[in-house]
Amino acid sequence: MASSLRHGLTKARSHILSRTRWFSSQSDALVEAKIPEVGIISGIPEQHLRRRVVIYSPARTASQQGSGKVGKWKINFLSTQKWENPLMGWTSTGDPYANVGDAGLSFESEEAAKEFAEKHGWEYTVRKRHTPLLRVKSYADNFKWKGLPKSEE
Amino acid sequence: MEFLLMNHPLDCPICDQGGECDLQDQSMAFGSDRGRFTEVKRSVVDKNLGPLVKTVMTRCIQCTRCVRFATEVAGVQDLGMLGRGSGEEIGTYVEKLMTSELSGNVIDICPVGALTSKPFAFKARNWELKGTETIDVTDAVGSNIRIDSRGPEVMRIVPRLNEDINEEWISDKTRFCYDGLKRQRLNDPMIRGADGRFKPVIWRDALAVVAEMAHKVKPEEIVGVAGQLSDAESMMALKDLLNKMGSNNVWCEGNGSNRDADLRSGYIMNSSIAGLEKADAFLLVGTQPRVEAAIVNARIRKTVLAKQAQGWGPDTLLEIAERRHPFSSVLLNAKNPAIIVGAGLFERKDKDAIFSALETIAKYANAVRLDWNGFNVLLLKAAQAAALDLGLVPESENSIESAKFVYLMGADDVNLEKVPADALWFIKGIMATGVDDWKIIRALSEVAGVKLPYDTLGAIRSRIKTVAPNILNIDEREPATFSFSIKPESTKKMDSAPFGTAVDNFYMTDSITRASKIMAQCSALLLKK
Ligand code: SF4
Repeated sequence: MASSLRHGLTKARSHILSRTRWFSSQSDALVEAKIPEVGIISGIPEQHLRRRVVIYSPARTASQQGSGKVGKWKINFLSTQKWENPLMGWTSTGDPYANVGDAGLSFESEEAAKEFAEKHGWEYTVRKRHTPLLRVKSYADNFKWKGLPKSEE
Repeated sequence: MEFLLMNHPLDCPICDQGGECDLQDQSMAFGSDRGRFTEVKRSVVDKNLGPLVKTVMTRCIQCTRCVRFATEVAGVQDLGMLGRGSGEEIGTYVEKLMTSELSGNVIDICPVGALTSKPFAFKARNWELKGTETIDVTDAVGSNIRIDSRGPEVMRIVPRLNEDINEEWISDKTRFCYDGLKRQRLNDPMIRGADGRFKPVIWRDALAVVAEMAHKVKPEEIVGVAGQLSDAESMMALKDLLNKMGSNNVWCEGNGSNRDADLRSGYIMNSSIAGLEKADAFLLVGTQPRVEAAIVNARIRKTVLAKQAQGWGPDTLLEIAERRHPFSSVLLNAKNPAIIVGAGLFERKDKDAIFSALETIAKYANAVRLDWNGFNVLLLKAAQAAALDLGLVPESENSIESAKFVYLMGADDVNLEKVPADALWFIKGIMATGVDDWKIIRALSEVAGVKLPYDTLGAIRSRIKTVAPNILNIDEREPATFSFSIKPESTKKMDSAPFGTAVDNFYMTDSITRASKIMAQCSALLLKK
């Protein structure tokens, strides 16, 4: 375990070193080529650095609760590796990120979420946030004179 | 708070609303921790509102939201308030069902647990559920929904707000079709043996058999039909596969032999669903929005100014087109007239004539201008628009009659009687195996030796981008650039057969809803009525 970690670290370091060199020789425009900064040194396995994620702002629940939690931004990992565990009937997952998005990642703004995803090298799509359209309504309108009643055809 | 809770039962532990109850939240925040009410709580008889809505009327706090929803949005005067004082109850005045396609929404509307979902009753607690925000496929509206699942199982479907499409409502079909997902599914590929029985095989064998059959027939005899629930990726792959094999007979269920995919304005909702609110006169042709797209119907209702003339036959339509019908003056005087055409007409032989009549009407009523496009087509199936965008149109009108090899990608509603008896089949159910359709097609293409050039979702999406870039814009509506003004005139005659109904049974329109028990109950009640 320790050796593999160290191995990973040396590999990571060599990555960084090569990256620095590469930067210095190339123009600045290439910095944009998405290299996950966090990814390399965190020891996160390679395949999880290329995750596809959705950045979205959860809609208000349809039922009549308060709106205190509305407006946060979340990152959702598209993962389908789920199965019912034959032993207990619980849900098992083969994806270490399966519960991370919902439970752990919450951002104040779309930009913050994007930045986080970029830092980790995730490929993201952003879903538009839908806000309610508030119309001016008045109870009294129900009793307003709307002209002569139309004859039912 | 104390007054509200006076007659409210202490039901929270056995109440389905627990955890998402407004009253519970309020009393947690502002309520007293002990009650001073020593009298007897009132009790109210539960009402039977049908197979969808469960009622526990003692929990009702008489906020009348449900009554207002029913009258103002759904447009049925079924719910009301009876009695006075502590005898006050919500109910249908006589014992009857709530006959609305939107009745499920009262479940969300009710701030307490008086109206809850019957199929969902005692199935799960809402904090165990994981919500996935997505889009509904049971009709062509594309309502925004959230699918709540517990582990691998879908537990319920709730709406999510989108002012442009469904506001915050969804139809009952959308909300309750989910139990159909759990039944009658295929898990393995199967091949029909010589004895007529299906036997499960492994994918490799299945694909080999199919590829061999496909090579036995002439390219023109290959036909592909995409099902009404197909995704754009699979349809793209299907079309590419068939094209590579030399056939161009591929279409999507419901589009019939419609071959005008050239002008996008000819098959989309040009004024947008939200835009319908601006309309001041409606002409509905061959469509019944109430059953075809209940949400659109609610919009139309909202715009109550409408004087609707529902032409029952092509004769009326012709009269309007020739300005002989009283309704033409209504259209002429309207500022924003909206014409809504049902996609059921696509299947008619004389559809070109109908459309040209409609275009005449649209022209004289000035329904298509720069700032307002009131010529709308109300599609029926979720996949239709994408299919036409991708150009899934058959090359010849009667390709199915000469077909020898039919690839049905989840298409269950195709009229197969016309297919010659000696045809070789390849039917693939929509709910096969949990493998994406495009992956199957991709694998098949490899076995058949006409390999498709993409093997990841990203790659297939970029292929779609070259064909129809608008599909990839999630959550955006792409208006059509050209309208029919550049379309050649059609001189065909209309045939006088009345417009049929495109949807007879609102609750059962595709393979998922047909497999659903709840939908079966609903339609049984619908027929009894
Ligand atoms: S919405 Fe619920 S609490 Fe309000 S009146 Fe209707 S049943 Fe009662």
